[in-house]
Amino acid sequence: MASETVKSEITGKVWKIVLQPGARVAEEDTIMILESMKMEIPVMASVAGTLTQILVKETEDVAEGQAVAIIEY
Amino acid sequence: MAFEKYAEELGRRKALALAMGGEKRLAKQRALGRLNARERIDYLVDPGSFLELGMFAVSDRPEAREETPADGKITGYGRIAGREAAIISHDITVKSASSSPINVRKMGHMRRAAIANGIPFVLLNESSGARIPDTMGAVGTGILGQDPHQFVRMREIPYVSAVLGPAFGTACWFTQLSDFVVMRKDAYLAIASPKVTEVAINQKIDPQELAGWRMQSEVTGKVDYAVDTDEEALDLLKKFLSYLPSNHGELPPQAAVPAGSDQTVQEILNIVPENRAKVYDVRKVVAAISDKDSVFALKDRFARTAYTALARINGQVVGFLASNPMFKGGALDSDSCDKATTFLVLCDSFNIPIIILADTPGFLIGVEGERRKAPGKIMNFMTALQMCTVPKFSIVLRKSYGQAYLNMGGTRNSDEMLAWHCAEVGFMDPTVAVNVVYGVRAETEPERFQKLVEDLQRESSAYDLASIFSAQAVIDPRESRAWLSRLLEVHKRRLSRGIGKHLMAGWPTTF
Repeated sequence: MASETVKSEITGKVWKIVLQPGARVAEEDTIMILESMKMEIPVMASVAGTLTQILVKETEDVAEGQAVAIIEY
Repeated sequence: MAFEKYAEELGRRKALALAMGGEKRLAKQRALGRLNARERIDYLVDPGSFLELGMFAVSDRPEAREETPADGKITGYGRIAGREAAIISHDITVKSASSSPINVRKMGHMRRAAIANGIPFVLLNESSGARIPDTMGAVGTGILGQDPHQFVRMREIPYVSAVLGPAFGTACWFTQLSDFVVMRKDAYLAIASPKVTEVAINQKIDPQELAGWRMQSEVTGKVDYAVDTDEEALDLLKKFLSYLPSNHGELPPQAAVPAGSDQTVQEILNIVPENRAKVYDVRKVVAAISDKDSVFALKDRFARTAYTALARINGQVVGFLASNPMFKGGALDSDSCDKATTFLVLCDSFNIPIIILADTPGFLIGVEGERRKAPGKIMNFMTALQMCTVPKFSIVLRKSYGQAYLNMGGTRNSDEMLAWHCAEVGFMDPTVAVNVVYGVRAETEPERFQKLVEDLQRESSAYDLASIFSAQAVIDPRESRAWLSRLLEVHKRRLSRGIGKHLMAGWPTTF
């Protein structure tokens, strides 16, 4: 079992957590949506697998490169 | 029969050469699920079209002559979908396909013939690198470099590479020089093997981190596609070549137009949300505008904010460069600039018109970007855009701000610029501008802030862009295909029969 850390690609605020730990994900499935530059920007799964951890909460500020979720595959 | 002895000897030697490194090593390749060097050629080329050169070349070391059929690299001409190509297939069963003076001479011969005769250079790469101990010492190393033009790329012809196993040394170098790279997921691409690297730096190395497909697809962007089998890799090489001319003096091949190709653009209003806060996947927009099933993305796992794809409109090959709002809201970063630059150089070098779709809040700014040389890369992108002599068309979809507006073909940076009816163009986000110019913040003076934002947002519409003739037309999104189709008909560069000036033929292959 390998582990992939999903990182935010932009600085923004967590607007909506879409998937919960335990969810099976395909590549590019939306895990959460950030608000940045007045847009709702998805954070997507970078591999197919099982989402095991969400590391941030709604309304939390995130920085570019910050770890926001873990997927096991 | 006269000459019977000679005929028999020729047959005997041929059989030995075709046996490659022997059954034991060939079985090992089969067990790994890999085709061997000759099977790869057979799969790639039209049946019976492979004309082999250098079948009887062997190592220049007397003690190795019997164990180096074709000296480990199979070379020759083959037809791919009816068009001639020069092919190098490294034979891993012969001294790990290591490079030697003789087989490098064969490669040079193929390269020069390909360029002189305007046919693509196709490399099926799998090699341990330089042959040891042959290259050790001053004589071994000093004898290298016989070809003073070995690594010059003037893009007279396409170079395409498949990384089908461990690819180090020459196999890695020519992959770096290639216009298109496909890699097996169990292959490795690096300067030197993980084993050699571990020994040299005395540290444990994770082969995937050093040379793996994800690193090469997502971090360096050198790999366009990663696949599971040799057959998939070779199919993709063929597919890429089907979009390109055999050489830069020809036009790309024209294809038939699939039924229904004019209808898909009607879906465009279902793809792009009217609400500016919502993002969408621009890849779907490119597919909607193009001929059905004609889109072929390049480097899709790298710098995803920029989308680059070959496609066809009315059977004619075009290159799409689009910002993708789904990633980083469409804000362009350093890697996006590199990806765009590489793509512009490819299209311009091979007479492929460029279509730019802009929906971007601008370039990402910040410390990280500056450390990654963002301004220089923005300029590379701009320089490449301005040096293109192929036709360039750009469309502002929803928004295009600042320098990014220019990089995405704004004003005279494209031959014709269009704007969707909902487009908005400006220098920077008005809410940032109010803060910078007037020192007014939304939190402390909300009404005054709002009024100033509205002031700065004036004259930002598609019609304002058209009023100064920076946009040549304002269109409904559903008219995009028809407009582009007609513009392609007009912009044929008839005076040079569609062949560009190729001012970027010598652009570096990595930067």
